[in-house]
Amino acid sequence: MPGTSSHSAMTSRSSERFGKWLVSAPPLVYLLFFFAIPSLIMVLASFRTPGEFGGLSPLVEDGRLDLNLDSYVRFFTESVYAQIFVKSVWYALLTTLFCLLLAYPLAALIARSPKKYRDLLLLLVILPFWSNFLIRIYAWMIILGPNAAMARAVNGVLSWFGHEPVALLFSSFAVLVCLVYVHLPFMVLPLYANLEKHDQALLDAAQDLGANGWQRFRRITFPLSLPGVYAGAALVFIPALGIFAIPDILGGPEDSLIGNIIKQQFLETRDWPFGSVLSIVLTVAALVLAGLAAWVGRSQLGTRSSGALSRA
Amino acid sequence: MKRLTLLLASLLLASLLSPAGAKDQLHLYNWNNYIAPETVKRFEDFCKCEVVQTYYSDNEELLAKLAAGARGYDILVPTSNVIQALIKGGQLKPIDKAQLPNLKNIDPAYLNTPFDPDNKYSVPYAMSLTVIGYNDQKIKELGLPTDTWAVVFEPKYLEKIKGRVTVLDSSSELFAAALKYLGYSANDVDEAHWKQAADLIKKAKRYWAAFNASSYIKELTVGNIWLVHGYSNDIFQANLDAQAAKRPFHILNGLPKEGAVLAVDNMVIHKDAPRPDLAHKFMNFMLEGKNSAELTNLIGSGNPNMEALQYIKPDIRKNPAIFPDKAMASKLEQLKDLTTAQRRVRNRMWTEIKAGR
Repeated sequence: MPGTSSHSAMTSRSSERFGKWLVSAPPLVYLLFFFAIPSLIMVLASFRTPGEFGGLSPLVEDGRLDLNLDSYVRFFTESVYAQIFVKSVWYALLTTLFCLLLAYPLAALIARSPKKYRDLLLLLVILPFWSNFLIRIYAWMIILGPNAAMARAVNGVLSWFGHEPVALLFSSFAVLVCLVYVHLPFMVLPLYANLEKHDQALLDAAQDLGANGWQRFRRITFPLSLPGVYAGAALVFIPALGIFAIPDILGGPEDSLIGNIIKQQFLETRDWPFGSVLSIVLTVAALVLAGLAAWVGRSQLGTRSSGALSRA
Repeated sequence: MKRLTLLLASLLLASLLSPAGAKDQLHLYNWNNYIAPETVKRFEDFCKCEVVQTYYSDNEELLAKLAAGARGYDILVPTSNVIQALIKGGQLKPIDKAQLPNLKNIDPAYLNTPFDPDNKYSVPYAMSLTVIGYNDQKIKELGLPTDTWAVVFEPKYLEKIKGRVTVLDSSSELFAAALKYLGYSANDVDEAHWKQAADLIKKAKRYWAAFNASSYIKELTVGNIWLVHGYSNDIFQANLDAQAAKRPFHILNGLPKEGAVLAVDNMVIHKDAPRPDLAHKFMNFMLEGKNSAELTNLIGSGNPNMEALQYIKPDIRKNPAIFPDKAMASKLEQLKDLTTAQRRVRNRMWTEIKAGR
């Protein structure tokens, strides 16, 4: 009967829609509750006045709504906070760059190794996650300590050149090394996911047409891997921008980053509104930079990869 | 599916029948390692209850957590200046002194302070000084003084120990030390004096290895760091660890002649404490000399309890950074709480110190 079949098609379509909704609702609700709502609370807090005892002073005081721009004004007039902000962006950029330089060859190596070893190699990349983040940072305190082998070796070499010994621990160097170390897997994984899918036939064709190794990399592999590069860069850059534990533990007197300053507002200074402002600026900066990268990426990807394909 | 339902039903039943809540519980929110395990054990036997401990590593952590609405704690052990903030914030329950006969054991010098007049809310627990800690071998070799903040702030001394010094990562403690060195009160709120202190800190900063509040005990113990601005009980701990590891040096306390910060920690009851009755029992128990002395013997904290003195190990009793003499005691100051506006100014200066080269 035609009627029944169309009816059943309709119910199956609506049940399919229901099924989709059922699957996508929990993550949506989760994100709404644990990302959107706290963010809104933070935005509201940024316009309020800090309470003497921590937290926020009452929203309605003497029948007046207590909302003001003080904390924003403060951020834009006291340049020291912007200065630390710029420094944090710089550290995060350096971290992303070093991660890319280290992760690219590694990801390519894994992608090209025989299939039966790939899973094992990937497992090794994520192995460090099995131990706690803080324990790994403390381990670096031992590795970089002044009496450890590494510092002795470095200072041994430096003394050959007549240079004064340097401290590795409690320095910008220690902070950067650990930032790169902690974030490296986040760069390796998306790069690997991308590189693994590359079609060997493209490279073979390029070789047949006389392209040398460098040309093949520059004109085919690298442009095709850009989505992986952008994904990895975002995964490294954004968490690196807000980190506070690493500079706290390994940094020297000059190594406070914006994450530390935000933490200070909520703890030592008891200034939640200003902490919220700093946090919002950080979020906006991360979004703008990510948007910018995505935009550059898309426009470049459009021209380059189609060019590479048409040339190939 | 049926099996799953059965499993869930039996879990639910089990949770209803389980003896959770059958035993009385006291929730103690305390500093890390701030009560001797044997004391806890004895109190549990005495009150026939269970002590559930949670820890914080600084006062600000406790304040932030309470401000964010954390509940369920009976006893907290904050420092005096934070008690002021907690009282103002209406976070504490007044104590009933009729239930605390042992309060008479406390040295009257530590009672009825401006932080909590007439001790309506708080009872002194233990205390520490913020002093100079040093590696005796290295500092003697280099001939540096250890009885003045100059060794922390003056480049002529710091040159010899560049990169071997840490200071506390706390603006209030570091400004207090700098203000004391400059001859002002640790509680001075004159911005011009703060500026002088900030300049002093900026000049000294390049000689310091780090602002450090978490790992300096370990760094002292292994001999990486030779001089610190730190808490007397941490320095005591560093020395115990160094002796246990058979290091060839001692970690000693240096008392600055300019004076130092005294931090008195006090027991208070949270306003929403589930068991104020157990909280009072615990307070009175901890005011007993023997119980109070156990903490001092464990971590080298100062003790305001006169009845405790007889139980304290003689070498700790003689340590001037733990039990300062009259002359030193007169130069000690407890930090007062700053206002919101003052905290903002202080934070800007502190951030400038940390950002600048």
